[in-house]
Amino acid sequence: MHLRMRKIVDRCFSISAYAASTAMTLLVIFILGPIFMRGIGAYVFQETVENRRMMLDQFGRGDSEALTKEWQTVQKNRQPIYAALQAFEKELEGYPAQKRRALRKPFQEVRQALTDLLGPEPGKPLPALTRKIYGQTRWDRAQLKVKDVLFEVTWDYSGERGIKVLKPRAPLFAGTALAPVFTQVETQLAALMQPRWRFYPQFLTDRSIDAHFFGGIGAEVLGTIYLALGAMLIAVPLGVIAAIYFQEYAHDGWIVGFLRTCVNTLAGVPSIVFGLFGLAFFINTLSVSPGKSVIAGALTLSLLVLPTIIRASEEAIASVPRTYKEAALSLGAGQWRTILTVILPAALPGILTGIVISMGRAAGETAPIIFTAAVSVGPMVMPAEIFSQATPALSWNLYNLCTEHEAVEQIRHVQYGMAATLVMIVLALNVTAIFLRARVARKLKG
Amino acid sequence: MRTSDRIVLSPQEIRTRRIFSALGRSFLLAVTAVAALAVLIIIFFIARDAVPFFREYNLRDFLFTNAWYPSHQPAQFGAKAIFVGSLIVTLTSVIIAVPVGILAAVCLSDMVSFNIRQLLKPVIELLAAIPSVVWGFFALVVMAPFLQDVLGVESGANALNASVILAIMALPTIVSVSEDALQAAGRELREGSYALGATRAETLIKVVLPAAMSGIFSAALLGIMRAVGETMVVWMASGNATQIPRPFYNLLQPVRTLTATIAGDMGEADQMTGSAHYHVLFAMGLSLLLFSFLCNMAGEWIVRRQRKRLRGM
Repeated sequence: MHLRMRKIVDRCFSISAYAASTAMTLLVIFILGPIFMRGIGAYVFQETVENRRMMLDQFGRGDSEALTKEWQTVQKNRQPIYAALQAFEKELEGYPAQKRRALRKPFQEVRQALTDLLGPEPGKPLPALTRKIYGQTRWDRAQLKVKDVLFEVTWDYSGERGIKVLKPRAPLFAGTALAPVFTQVETQLAALMQPRWRFYPQFLTDRSIDAHFFGGIGAEVLGTIYLALGAMLIAVPLGVIAAIYFQEYAHDGWIVGFLRTCVNTLAGVPSIVFGLFGLAFFINTLSVSPGKSVIAGALTLSLLVLPTIIRASEEAIASVPRTYKEAALSLGAGQWRTILTVILPAALPGILTGIVISMGRAAGETAPIIFTAAVSVGPMVMPAEIFSQATPALSWNLYNLCTEHEAVEQIRHVQYGMAATLVMIVLALNVTAIFLRARVARKLKG
Repeated sequence: MRTSDRIVLSPQEIRTRRIFSALGRSFLLAVTAVAALAVLIIIFFIARDAVPFFREYNLRDFLFTNAWYPSHQPAQFGAKAIFVGSLIVTLTSVIIAVPVGILAAVCLSDMVSFNIRQLLKPVIELLAAIPSVVWGFFALVVMAPFLQDVLGVESGANALNASVILAIMALPTIVSVSEDALQAAGRELREGSYALGATRAETLIKVVLPAAMSGIFSAALLGIMRAVGETMVVWMASGNATQIPRPFYNLLQPVRTLTATIAGDMGEADQMTGSAHYHVLFAMGLSLLLFSFLCNMAGEWIVRRQRKRLRGM
C-alpha cells in the first residue's frame, strides 16, 4: 500500500479509537450528571409555606408559633383571591343563561387549579387524602402549577401531529370580578407561597406520606439495607468456605472440575431467572414465608452474588504468598490452624473487596426481588418482621414510581432523589472496594 | 499437659485427629457442594414448573406462532414475537457495543499513557456497578421524551431506546475484558510488528487483535449474556408491545422481550401459581437459562482452545 494511504488509515484508526473512548466518557457524564443534579433537588430545594405546614402536621418539625404567624400573613395575602372567587360565583348567577353556561366550566377549572396551587379554600371541609390538604409544597412545582391557573391547554391539530398550545384564560374573564386574580397570582406568587431554601437530609430516613407525595424514602432505604445485608449474611459464609475448599483442599479431579463449572454457570444465570427460582423454590416449595418476604428476597439475592464472592475470595487466597503457608506448616501448625490464623487474615482485605462489591450488586438488583420481596407501597419493616413481611426497596420502587404511580409527573423529584440515592449507595460501596484493593496491592508490593 | 504441647502423640490421639480432620474436610466439601450445586437446583425447579406448560401446549406453537393471548379462553401462547423482540434488542445492542467497546479498549491499552489508564480503569469498573434500574429510569424519563419530542418518533419507548441503553450498560464489561485480553497479548508481539515497519493501526489490527481474539470473543459473549438477561432496562424502555416490527429492522417500533414479559406478567404471581400463564413464564425462564448455558459453554470452549494453542506455541 502507498505510504501516504497507510498513514491516513493509521490516523483514522487512532481518531476513531479516541472518539470511542471519549463518547463513552461523555455519555456517562450526560447520563449520570442530570440524575445527580436533579437528585440533589430532593434534598435541597425551595420549599413553600405549605411544606412548612405539612412538616409540622405530619412530622412535628418546625416552630409552631412562627408558622402560625406566617400562616396568618399568607392567608391575608391570599384573601383577595378567595374574595374574588366568591364574588365571581355570585356574579355568575346574575349572568344571562348563555354566558353563564359558557363561563361555568372555565371558572371551575380555574378554581380547581387554584386549589391545587394554594390548598383547599378556607372554610371548606378538609379532603380525605393527605395530598389534597396542602397546596404545592415545592416552589418549582408551584411555578408550574401557576401555568394551569393562567393558561388553558389546547391542542392544535392543523398539522400532522397535535401541537400543545397554551391559551391565556384572562381575556375570557376580562371585566369580571375574577380578572384581578390572574394578575395577582402571576405577579405575587412569592407572597402567596413564601418560598425559602430548605436542606432536607431527612429525605433519606423519613417515611413516605400518601404514596410519596410528601415525606422521604426511609422505608425503601431500610428495605434495601435489609436485603443487601441479609444476602451477605447468607452468601459470605458459603462463598468463603467454598473458596477455601477450592484453593486449599481440592485436587484436580472430575468432581472439582464439575463443581467449578457449576459455579461458572451460576454466574451466567440471568437475574430474572433468579426471581422465578426464588418464587418457585423458596416461596412455593420451601414456604420460608407465606408470600413475598425480606428473607425470601435475601435468599434469592444471596445465590445471585455467590459466584462473585467465591471468585474474589479464591483470588485473594491464591494471592497470599506461598511462603506464609510453608512457614506456618513448618512451625508445626496443622492445616486448619494455618488456614484460620495465617491464610485467612492475609487474604481478608481481598475477600472484603469481593464482599463489598457484591453488596453493591445486591442493593441495586431489581429483577430477583420483584416476585420474592418487593412491594410497591408499605410501611417500614421492623427487624422482627423480616420473615413474614414484604418490603419496599429503592430499586423496585424507583421502577414503580416512574411507571405505575398515579401522578408520575408530580413526584419527579422523589424519583430523581431515589435514583441518585441508589447510585450513591452503590458507588460508595464500590469506591470502598477500590480503596481496599489499592491497600492490598501496596501491601503485596511490600 | 495439654495434647497440643506434646510432640509425640499416642496412636489413639492420632486416630481422633485424623477423624476430626476428615470430618472437617467433608464439612467443607458439603458446604462447597451446596454452593456449587445451587445452579442445578435452579435448573431443576425452573424446568419443573415449565414442564406442565409443554405437556399441555405444543412447543412448535410456542416458538413459531404469533398469537399471544394468555388471558383468553382458551388461552393462546404463541411467543414468536417475544423471542424475536429479545433477539432484535440483543443484536442491536451488541452491534453498537462491541465495536465501540473494542475501540475504547484499544485506546485504553495502547494509546493513552499509563497514568490515564490507571485512572480510567476504576472509573469503568464503577460504571459497570450502576444498577440497571437507574439506566432504565434514564431511558424512560430522559431518552424516551427526547426521542418523542425532539426527533419526532411516534413512541419514545421502542427497540432503539432499549438497545442503546443496553449497549451503554454492556460497554464497561466489554471494555474491561477486552482491555485485559489486549494487555495479555504481550509487548514482544507489538515491538516485533513495529520493528518490521508497521504503523500503529496495522500492528493493532493485524497482530494484536488476532492474538487477543479469544479474550475479545469472551468479552462479546459476556456482553450478549448481559443484554439477553437484562430485565429492567428493556421492561422500561422497549414499549412492551407484543409485535414483530414491520419491517423487522424498524427499530423505532416498540417490542417486547422475554425478560420483560416474565417481569411484567408475573405481577400477580400469588394468584397465578399453577395456571398455564404461570407455567409459560417458567418456560421462557428456561429458554433464557438454556441460552446463557450455551453462551457459557461457548466461552469455556474458547478459553480451552486458547490454552491449548498457547501450549502448542
